[in-house]
Amino acid sequence: MKILIADDSRVMRQIVTRTLRQAGFDGHDLVEAADGRQAHDMVADEKPDLVLSDWNMPEMTGIECLRALRAGGVNVPFGFVTSEGTDEMRKMAEDAGALFLITKPFTAETFSDVLSPILG
Amino acid sequence: MTSPTLEDLQTITEQVWQSYLDPEGLNPLLTVPEDALPSDVAASISVSGPWDGHVVITCSHEASRQAASALLGIEAGEVTGDDVADAVGELVNVIGGNVKSLLPDGCLLSLPHVITGGQPQSSKYPSAVEVCRLQGVWQSEPIAVSVWASKAA
Repeated sequence: MKILIADDSRVMRQIVTRTLRQAGFDGHDLVEAADGRQAHDMVADEKPDLVLSDWNMPEMTGIECLRALRAGGVNVPFGFVTSEGTDEMRKMAEDAGALFLITKPFTAETFSDVLSPILG
Repeated sequence: MTSPTLEDLQTITEQVWQSYLDPEGLNPLLTVPEDALPSDVAASISVSGPWDGHVVITCSHEASRQAASALLGIEAGEVTGDDVADAVGELVNVIGGNVKSLLPDGCLLSLPHVITGGQPQSSKYPSAVEVCRLQGVWQSEPIAVSVWASKAA
């Protein structure tokens, strides 16, 4: 599967990549976006099977990206990996069509629990 | 409006260390008494809304380099200035996001801001007061995490 990792922090993209590997999700094709706008555009170009997106990013936030994708009829599986995990944000994410919201700091176990049903 | 407590900050910081900076449990952040420690690098993130304030990490240059090395999984000698800014910015983003989770609904988190140069924190937030501060040593280098509330809050 192809996974798009969207985060304005290269450090966090690296941590997400490492954690995917630690959680046993090897062998997937990983592509990266540095903000929500780039993620939105890359979904069209790269056609990922899953988007793992930060929430708080410049240019376009993660939730804006998701809403724009859904408004454009794109139903790519989309989940958040964010430092903000309030009930309010979980509801916003769910209402916009997100499958899950993983809060930072996360562990490989969290990735495994949440992503196994999607990545197998 | 109730501000986060030192216990809150300690719990969040420990989680960040366990997940990212000390997963093996070998190099924890050891708290030390209040003292004037070097703060060459400062990363801050602001919360606005029903609660207004800032979350700030200050540390030495070497601590920031070690943090970037640990987060990126590369040798400290390979760390660039951009890596340092990214790493401490992401640390304050994660801690700030978790602090925000303790605050009332409707608060907004800014993007992180990182500076190097080491000026006293009080000069950066003239309209805010420090409400809690966790100060420690990590790999023999000083790191402090503090929460500042707007005086109007």
